[in-house]
Amino acid sequence: MSSSKLEFLPISSSIDPSFWNKLYEIKLNVDKLNETHHSIWGYFSNINNKSNVPLLEVNSTSFNKDFESQKIYIPFHGKVLNWRSPRKTITVEFIFILSFADLKKFNFYYWFAFPVPYNLSITCNSVKNISDDFNINQLEEFWDKYCELDKFQKPYFLLQIKDELVNIFPLKSQVANLDENNHVDYYFGFYDLSLLENCPGSLLRNYITFILHHCPFLQGRSVNFLSLRLKRNSDSNLSLLNSLIFKLELPSCLPSISKLINEDPQKGWVGWEKNERGKMGPRLSNMKSFMDPKELAESSVDLNLKLMKWRLLSNIDLEKIKQTKFLLLGSGTLGCSVARIILGWGARHISFVDNSTVSYSNPVRQSLFTFEDSKYAKPKSLAAADNLRNIFPGVKSSSFQLTIPMPGHSIGESMLEEVKKDVDMLVNLIQEHDIIFLLMDSRESRWLPTVLGTYFNKIVINAALGFDSYLVMRHGVRIDMEEVKVRQHTPGFKSLKGNYLGCYFCNDVTAPGNSMKDRTLDQQCTVTRPGVSAIAGALSAELAISILQHKEGAKAPAFFKIGNVVDTEKELDNQCVLGLIPHSIRGYLSTFSQVLPATERYNMCVACSDVVQNAFDQDRFNFLLKVFQNSEYLEIITGLSELTKEAENIGVWEFSDEEEIECVSYEYSKLDLSASSSVEGNKSRGEIVVEDFSYNQNKTILQDHKALIMEEIDQSGATTSKN
Amino acid sequence: MSSEQSFTIDLFHCCVKKILEISDKYQDGWSLQLKDGIASAYITKKSRCTLEDPDKKLPLVIVTFDYHVVYHPSYCVPVLAFNVWKQDGTFLALEEFWKYNHHFRNSNMFDTLTQLDHPVLQRPFLTLHPCRTKEIIEPFLEHSKNPVISWLSTVGHFVYLDLLQEYLKSC
Repeated sequence: MSSSKLEFLPISSSIDPSFWNKLYEIKLNVDKLNETHHSIWGYFSNINNKSNVPLLEVNSTSFNKDFESQKIYIPFHGKVLNWRSPRKTITVEFIFILSFADLKKFNFYYWFAFPVPYNLSITCNSVKNISDDFNINQLEEFWDKYCELDKFQKPYFLLQIKDELVNIFPLKSQVANLDENNHVDYYFGFYDLSLLENCPGSLLRNYITFILHHCPFLQGRSVNFLSLRLKRNSDSNLSLLNSLIFKLELPSCLPSISKLINEDPQKGWVGWEKNERGKMGPRLSNMKSFMDPKELAESSVDLNLKLMKWRLLSNIDLEKIKQTKFLLLGSGTLGCSVARIILGWGARHISFVDNSTVSYSNPVRQSLFTFEDSKYAKPKSLAAADNLRNIFPGVKSSSFQLTIPMPGHSIGESMLEEVKKDVDMLVNLIQEHDIIFLLMDSRESRWLPTVLGTYFNKIVINAALGFDSYLVMRHGVRIDMEEVKVRQHTPGFKSLKGNYLGCYFCNDVTAPGNSMKDRTLDQQCTVTRPGVSAIAGALSAELAISILQHKEGAKAPAFFKIGNVVDTEKELDNQCVLGLIPHSIRGYLSTFSQVLPATERYNMCVACSDVVQNAFDQDRFNFLLKVFQNSEYLEIITGLSELTKEAENIGVWEFSDEEEIECVSYEYSKLDLSASSSVEGNKSRGEIVVEDFSYNQNKTILQDHKALIMEEIDQSGATTSKN
Repeated sequence: MSSEQSFTIDLFHCCVKKILEISDKYQDGWSLQLKDGIASAYITKKSRCTLEDPDKKLPLVIVTFDYHVVYHPSYCVPVLAFNVWKQDGTFLALEEFWKYNHHFRNSNMFDTLTQLDHPVLQRPFLTLHPCRTKEIIEPFLEHSKNPVISWLSTVGHFVYLDLLQEYLKSC
């Protein structure tokens, strides 16, 4: 090989994430606003590096006083300087890191330098493999002695073969003994960072500078350098077989090496690492998603849900849940339960509405509140929104103090403006949200949100509690009304489309009145078994999520006949990825049982019927005001009062156990209030409970079920007061 | 798994001790971690390589793997947990890692490689799923002198962890 100018391979930085954690901590607790140097250790090894780039690692232990590491690492000493603002300067070390940490954004700007003299030009006379000069035994001896060297002596050392034996000397002690005559017996050994042949690591230049400083007589002479390179043999042992011997001609630099280097002060030292674009400039490491606790919480929560998607439900649309805006009307036991479950599903937009404050009895049942909240009588919606953010800072929760105006709760002149404000606020809230939960404790407070939810075609989920029973249901929507109403699936399966389903009030024969009036104390507060609200809250949330996942959304059909053997995997082409979606769920804790009735929309409903919807459309607040002043107004316009009269004439009116809805052909005319159609209407609204999952069709259940409905109406104080 | 065959923590420590012995002898880089004392001892190793996207859509990336072999007290098996980061210290996310790793391109990749909390550190790590580990390690309990090594040699290469031949000699 002819003589040529020696090329060098630069070293690259590799930062262990723990380095940033430590730097963050130091900046925050030690440096603060000071710009301080910190001594650091770098770790280098070519063992276990399968990339062809020499990588120098820094990690959290880099800041330790002493270099302690596994045998495989070679120490590098350096400094890190933490700037208060990003800028540039130069200092000489083996490694030098300039960094600027933006603690708020977890952005770390950094620039590594591995400084080497710029002016040093080396000529390479020859390169050969180590085995040209060393026999097998000598190589083994060399390796054994090298391994015994102190770790700080390993990067640079002197080597000599004398009487066939290999001697290794620490550079520090032996360099003083070199002279013009004996230096030819020595090899200048160094742990080569480079993995490329014929091209040593760039830091060799510092070694040569050091040698020229201590042994100026070597200027212009040819010197043997031993580039130590490790190789793992097939027997797993490390060997020196890949090591090279460079014969290098050292430059003449009169009068001294330091003069040569500092000739041009602007170009004395080079070695700044290029950035990822191959340009001279700092790199940026954005550690926000790995260090910011809020980000960590968000990504962990997301990952948990993604695992569900990846492993079980590949078609689930988690992004949809994230984007959906949930409105919780009522922030009590139900509101707290629903909020927690939808939070678990990855909901990010949750709004709470309530008009009361946290009382001492609340926190034990209402899972978002604490004793502290009750001590200061914090508004429930505010406490719920705040505490939800404490649980998960990634949620955008908001709160609204609002009393929902109710039918039959008459309004004085002085209150008129305030009620109008409340109505406007509720109208806005319902328009702005996608899913509306009715989680209040009275029947009549559900009326206005039901009317509005229907009017704006929102998904409305309603939950109501008895002492040991619950009702969770979704309201039907009024879209695409010309569609086929009942679908016949494979034998045993029938479903009623979501745009034909009834609302909470479709089962009623009276308008909601003032149920707070004339009640004893135990009727006014919610007296329920504590588990009921958790069950109903969870079911409400799950029902909402299922609807969101259905391709038809609120129009999703409610299955009401599903045969004796339930095989939901098969056939039910209209279910969603989470399964089929009922219209309503009625549960009884006294028997730990549940049924899934589906009810059709009632054409005389006080909330979702055409006549009410049209009246609202035309007169808006004036219509509402009439209802607030006197709830019987609703019964008059829907024709319910007429119906009641007739019913009284008939005497007892009965539900039929066998009743099922007729198919397709069945229709009733809009606003037909004649006597004959009201009887039809009566029939049509018979409950379509057919089966639940665990029981066969069973009269007792139906009877219990009917009893429950009556009981509920009793509790609400509506029917009884009528009779 | 019958009770006499179950994988105890003592067996784990025994196997791991042997790995460390061999690693020290050959400078393989495994080291012992004793964060919460001897009962929760586990071993770690770092290695570096260049990852290439088989579809060539993503750039080549030089990464550091930080492997942890830890005993999982709930699953009663050792787990192979690891983190992968780029040169600037930012981690490769699970989905990103999948893109680079052609071994996980089949339908059951979600069951095989997942993200779990490290049994000792309680921080999220990419982890070969412990359920699968149980299936794989079970036959080794009878037939291998060091089930941990046998299992690692079976699954390691899926996540770029190579074992020296010397380890296998002790099985």
